[in-house]
Order: sequence, then C-alpha cells, then structure tokens
Amino acid sequence: MNVKAAVFSWVPPRVGALGNELLIGLTLAIVVLPQAIAFSTTLAGLPSYVGLYCAIWGVLFTALLNPSRVFHGGPNSTLSAVVGVTLLPVAPQFGPDYIGYALTLFLLAGLIQLVFLAVQPLGRVLDFVSEPVANGMICGIGLYMIFKSFPAFAGLPINTQVEWRLWIAWQSFLAVLEIGNMHAIHIGLITLLVTVVTRQFDRFRNWAILLGIVAGTLYSEFLNARLGLGETLIEQTANVSTGFVYPSVPLFAQEAMPDIISIIPGAVTLALLGLFQTVAAMRRMNRRSGQFVDARHGIFADALSNCVLPFISALPTCASFNRMSLMHAMNTGSRLAAVSSALFLLALVSFFGDFIAIIPVPAMAAIIMVVGANMIDWSDIRAHFQHRPEAIVFSASFLSVHLFGLFGAVICGSLLALAYAKWEKAHPNVSLERNVLRIRGNIYYGSLPVIESLYHRANSDARFDELVVDFSAVHHIDPEGIRWLAEVGKNHKVRFADRRSGQDRRAAAGEAPADRKRKDRRRRRTL
Amino acid sequence: MKRLLPGWKKAVRLALVVSVLFGLYALTLARHDERARIREQPVTLTPGCADKLARYGLEAGPRYISPYVLARTEQANTRQGYSDEDVRAIQRGCNIIDDLQGQLAADPARERWNATRFVRGTHSSCDHCHQGIGDKQTAAGVPQTGSLSLAASWVMADMYDQFTGILLPYELRQMQCYINSSNGYKPNVADDLIRDVTAYSRFLAAALDLRFGNRYAEQGIDEVTASQTAKRGDDYVRGAALFKERCARCHGPQGLGTVVDGKVLFPAVAGPNAFNLQSRNNFSFVSTILPGFICRNMPPGEEGTLSNQDCRDIGFYVSNLPRPAGDKQGPLAALWQQLMMRVMPPLIHTVETWQRPGEPAGSGT
Repeated sequence: MNVKAAVFSWVPPRVGALGNELLIGLTLAIVVLPQAIAFSTTLAGLPSYVGLYCAIWGVLFTALLNPSRVFHGGPNSTLSAVVGVTLLPVAPQFGPDYIGYALTLFLLAGLIQLVFLAVQPLGRVLDFVSEPVANGMICGIGLYMIFKSFPAFAGLPINTQVEWRLWIAWQSFLAVLEIGNMHAIHIGLITLLVTVVTRQFDRFRNWAILLGIVAGTLYSEFLNARLGLGETLIEQTANVSTGFVYPSVPLFAQEAMPDIISIIPGAVTLALLGLFQTVAAMRRMNRRSGQFVDARHGIFADALSNCVLPFISALPTCASFNRMSLMHAMNTGSRLAAVSSALFLLALVSFFGDFIAIIPVPAMAAIIMVVGANMIDWSDIRAHFQHRPEAIVFSASFLSVHLFGLFGAVICGSLLALAYAKWEKAHPNVSLERNVLRIRGNIYYGSLPVIESLYHRANSDARFDELVVDFSAVHHIDPEGIRWLAEVGKNHKVRFADRRSGQDRRAAAGEAPADRKRKDRRRRRTL
Repeated sequence: MKRLLPGWKKAVRLALVVSVLFGLYALTLARHDERARIREQPVTLTPGCADKLARYGLEAGPRYISPYVLARTEQANTRQGYSDEDVRAIQRGCNIIDDLQGQLAADPARERWNATRFVRGTHSSCDHCHQGIGDKQTAAGVPQTGSLSLAASWVMADMYDQFTGILLPYELRQMQCYINSSNGYKPNVADDLIRDVTAYSRFLAAALDLRFGNRYAEQGIDEVTASQTAKRGDDYVRGAALFKERCARCHGPQGLGTVVDGKVLFPAVAGPNAFNLQSRNNFSFVSTILPGFICRNMPPGEEGTLSNQDCRDIGFYVSNLPRPAGDKQGPLAALWQQLMMRVMPPLIHTVETWQRPGEPAGSGT
C-alpha cells in the first residue's frame, strides 16, 4: 500500500461541480449534527462536544488520509453503544472519571487498530467475521439502542445495572409507562412521529431526523414558555460551543489500572467493530461507485485518526453506511465533500451553539430509537434465514449481544461461523451413482470419515467390477487426503477420474522446493 | 395498480407504527392515572408501622413536633410539618421496610409499588437487616449502636461509598439492597418505591432529631474485625457446630429459613431466597459485616450471648452455604450456584439421615 501516493492523490472536482461538492458537505454537516449529539449523550454517556469534535475532526482526518472519495467517517451509533456498555460499570456517566476512562478506551482501541494495520494476517482476520455474525450483532445493538433510550425518552435517569440487560430493558419500559415524565414523553412522541412520517417521503428522507428534532425542540420551547423549565423538568443538551479544539489526556493513573484492564475486551470490540464497519462500507461503496480503493487505506486512516482523536476530546471514528449512501446518492466527485462537511459543522457549532444547546434530551432519545430501528434491516435478516446454518449463526450472535455483551457476541458469533465453515468442509457433497463415486468439496482429515464410509459401501458392492472415484470438483486435498487416495489407488478395482489435468503435477515438478511453495500458499490461504 | 402497491404497503406499515405508538401512549396514560390514584388512597399500615408512626406522632399539619425528642429533652423541637401526601408517602415507606413482600397487604403489588419485581426469592424484607423497621432501639429507648438505622443513613445523605469510593446519593445506596442483599434488580431511581422509602427515612431522622452531616453510632453496622477476636483465625467447623446449636432451630439446619402458612417467620440465610455472593453480608466478600450483625442481633432474645469469635465463625460457615451468584459474576457462576443450590441440600439431607437412621430427620427445608 503506497500511503503517501494515496493520501495525496486528489481528484479535483469537475469544473462546475465545486458547488455540488459544497452542497453535499453542507447536507452532511446538517445530517451528522444531531447524530453526533445523540450518540455521545444518549449512547456513550459523554458530553455532546465529544461527538461533535468527532464529527468535525474525525471526518476531516479520515477524509485527508483515506483516498476513497465516497467516505464519511465520524461518530457511529454502534461504537457509541459499545462505549456506553463498556464503561457503565466503571464510573458514573458524564463525570470526569468517566470521560478519562472513555478517552483511555478510545486510545486503546486506536492502538489495537494500529496493530491490525501493522500485522497483515490480523487484518485478514476481519474477513472471518462473517456477514451473519456482523449483521446479528448490528441488529442486536439496534435493539439494545431502542431499549437503552427508554428512560431518556421519558425523562428518567438511566438504569446503570450491567447484568440482565433484557430484564433491565423490560423494567425501563414499565418505568416509562408508570413513572415517566409526561412532558418528556410528549416531546419524544412528537419527534418520533415527525421523523417516522417524513421518512416515508423520498424527498425528505435525509432530512427526517433534523425535522423531527426541530419539531421536538419547538414543542419543548413552547412548554418551557408556558409552564417554565422548573415545571416541565425537561433535560436539555448542554452548551456545545467550546472552541475549535478541546485538548484532553486519557486517564492512565496507577489506581485506575484495574479498571483499565477490565475495559480491554471492550477496547478490542470497539477496534474490531470500527474496522469491520469501515472495511465493509468501503467494499460496498467500491461495488457501487466503481472506484476501487483498497480497504487497507480505510484501516490506515481509521487507526491513525483514532490514535489522535482521544487527545482532542473526540469519539472514535469509523465509516458511516447511511452518510456514505447519501454521498453516493448525491454523486460525490471528490473528497472535498467530506472535508467541507467537517468545516461547515465547525462553523455551525461555533455560530449556532446556543440553538443546539436547547435541544431536549427526549427528542435525542427518540432519534436514537429511529436509528436503532433502522439498524434492524429486514432484507438482511430474511436473506440469512433462507439458509439454516446462517440463520443459526445470525440468531446466536443477535441473542448473545443481549446475553453475554458485545465482546461475548463477537467471540460467540465468530466461533459459530468458524464451526459452520468447518462443518461445511467436513461434509463434502459425496454421491454414489452406480459405480461412480463423485466427491465435491474438500478431501481433508475432517471430511475423510464421511467419504470413506461411502467408499467402503461402494467398494463392497459385488455388482460392479470397477469403481470410479471422480474428484474433478475437489478444490483442496490435504496430506492425509493424499495418503488416503494413494491407499485407494492400490485397490485394483478403483479408477480415478480427475478431469482438471491429465497429468500428475507432482511427478512433473518433481522437486521439493516447488512442493514447499505450494504448501506455503495453502497455509496463506487458510490464514 | 401495480404502481400503487408499494405506496399502499408503505401506508399500511406507517399506520401500523403510528397506531402502536398511540396504543402505547394510551397505556402510559392509563398506568400514570392508576399510579396517581394509588398515591391518593389512604394507606393501611402494618401493625409494626401503626405502632411506630403513632409513637413518633406522624400526622398532617403545618408543624411537626417529635414526641420522642420532647420526652427525652423536654424541649419542643419544631419542624416544618407534613402535607397529607407526605404522610401517605411516609406510611407507604414504612410498610415497604416492614413488609417488602406484601405478606400483610391486601393487594401486594399495588400497595408495595410492585416491590417484588425488584427482588428474587420470597423471603427478603428490608426489616431483616434494618431491624426495628429501620430504627432498632434498646430497652431504654435509645437507638442501638450499629443497627443499620435508616434515619442515621439518611443524614449521611450523599456519602462516599466505603468500598467503591463513588459519591452515592441515598437513593442510589438503596440499590445495593435490591441487587445483592435481596438478590434482585435495581428499580429506577425515580421509582415511587425509592421515593417513599426515602420519605420514611427522612421522617425518622426528623423524629429522632438527627442532624445532617453528623455521624451517629447507629449508622451502618457495628463491624467485627478479626483483630477483635482471640485471633485464632476463622473456624469453619466450629462455625458449623455453633450454627447447629444456636441458629438452626429458626433458620433451619441448612439455613433455608422457616415459612409457615406462606408467611416467612425466619428468613433464609442460604439457598435461592438468601442474599447473594456479592452482597456485603457475604463473609467472603466483606468479612466484618455479617459477624457484626450476628453479634448485635442474634439470636433474638439472647442478643450479646455470642462472642466475637463465635460470630465470625458462624458468619464464615453461613456464607459458604450455597447461595445465588452476584449480578456481576456472569452466567457461568450463576449456573454453578444454581446447581449447588439444587443439589446440595437434598444430598446433605440424604447423607445425614442415612448416617443416623434412628434420629428424626433434622436436615432439609
């Protein structure tokens, strides 16, 4: 990967397209603004500026480092949820300790991502988090986000108990019904309805969240004017204008070490989920836009940005599917769009901070509910449920988010996906038609028992004098398979049919180095 | 027609979402109304609460003068009075402390704010640890030292937690009781369950004239540390013998409690109805609290007859009986403890009756 060439390879916007790029930038800035505030306050438990700085500096850094022209980094719902889940048992939310731990968590995640960049085989590991695993987790997190926003939706304090998430969700739901602040519920409902209804019209689809928030804020202001904030008790987003940057230092005190060690699994989850989303989003965009950018550029940009962002009070960044789809739909021609979106947002926050500060928290919670519901994509789920093993892997990783937490879900889902792949390989498609034994798939130690049992049945069949073993459709034979084939070859009744080549390649090459080379390649393939 | 179809689908889906939202909204209104109605209903007090609140002269009025303080100091300490609503909140709080499971209530769910939702098991009640309905007094009418007094706890309102170092408001400190001591779950901080208990604790502090920020002897527990013993170390075997001798007649040979006619006479100290492994009552977690409680309060009627060493030995033994896992110990520990709680009691029962077939079966529930 030629980083230097990639970073500095700018496609200048077409003449006359500059205006379009700036328009896309402005649109993105307005779209990302409520998301940044909602993700940081409602999901991650951090002050709103942390999300905003991520939407400014995270987007800017990734846009400068990543040569893809359809790439938009910034705050991400899944990552923010992971932050909230990981740090809940460590310190009370929004407190100085919590922020310190959060910055440490981000830095750890950034460093882990750097390791993934530096050690190539580790980067390949990302490809083994299969689609059902990732989708199961994302759906699980979507549902988790809906549950998590119940208390904020009704103006209630968040339940900080860590275990028994589904029970907590149910209790939070009952609490909304029984003791929720009715003013907060009204604001949340108005936001929810406006967002859901405007989303149905294609023209307003990208503006739905903003319109919902505007409606919720207007109603909240109306209530405050009529009844007073002391009566309504509606929590508002705090003041956001803190300047261009807000320097910060992650917490690495000695007495904090046990807690820091306890959040390392969370950091690994954060790093993996971030990279996975970036890689998957870039692959999808490559397919759509026709521009091919190696996903390693994305890993590079993310890892580097995430090592810098903790020092300027920002959430970790990773690719955003919905904003990148928006960019693609608006025909982005260069990286200028992403860069300008960061600068527009900086201007918005600097000049309109006072207006952002009055956004009520229940409206934010309603937005998180919509975002969470959007993460549950029925078309994806339906595709996975057409194939039973995929359905099992999907359901397992979906459920394990709620039962074992996110890290547990990554481990559980990946193990299941690997087990499934092994199971598939261990059950090659072997068929016996008269005296022809056809093997499709792999001949290796795991699948040999299945093949051998059928072979012996065919071999002991007295009706035929000859047994043809056809392995034309076999794509991998391991040494044990070769030994078995050699044994079978000694049986005079058996004739091999391998239509791939008429010759024995081993005999032709003959020398040891060639053999080792092939073995190496095979090892690389299995890695 | 074909072109219309996706539009229709969209409209139906939207209508479904909107109607679900409105349905939930209607349900919310109904539940809020019910809650408000319960808050306005007169409260039926438990006998203990009726006695205690009458003694402290709780009634609505512009001023409150505590008869308890008046009798002891012969000075009328005038405080701001309570509204009808305050009085009902205090009464409900007292009922919750005295009878968390609602065994004395006509409609436990309504009269105790669904308290059993936040508690696993059928035994635990606040009064088991916070004895004397959160205000245990000696025969002389003085609050007992280290009796987990709710009043003294309230005046330490925003206290740094001794173990985690986190600044915990009184409402949040109640959570510990629900999660670990009752092996249950956290109610929401804004829940009426928490508010009413807080109201009751505040009233107790006013009735006893405890002042904010002061430390009182009755606050917390009178801990028994290892250095307060003969320093022989904590003896599990001796604890088992002492438990059989002094505790088993009420708590049962395996500590599973005594229930008669559905009423808990003596709570379980082991098994599914007891405090869990992460409770501070658990000797292996905090070794000074359970011995302190035992020395001060056990056995009822014979308090003070156990030495510090006895209390520590009994605490050590009791904590090692099978009990639920803590909420942060994960599903595997929970599963293991469940297995132990199911398997061990019948196994021990079988072994003991098999060894001494002549004697009446002492073990079991």
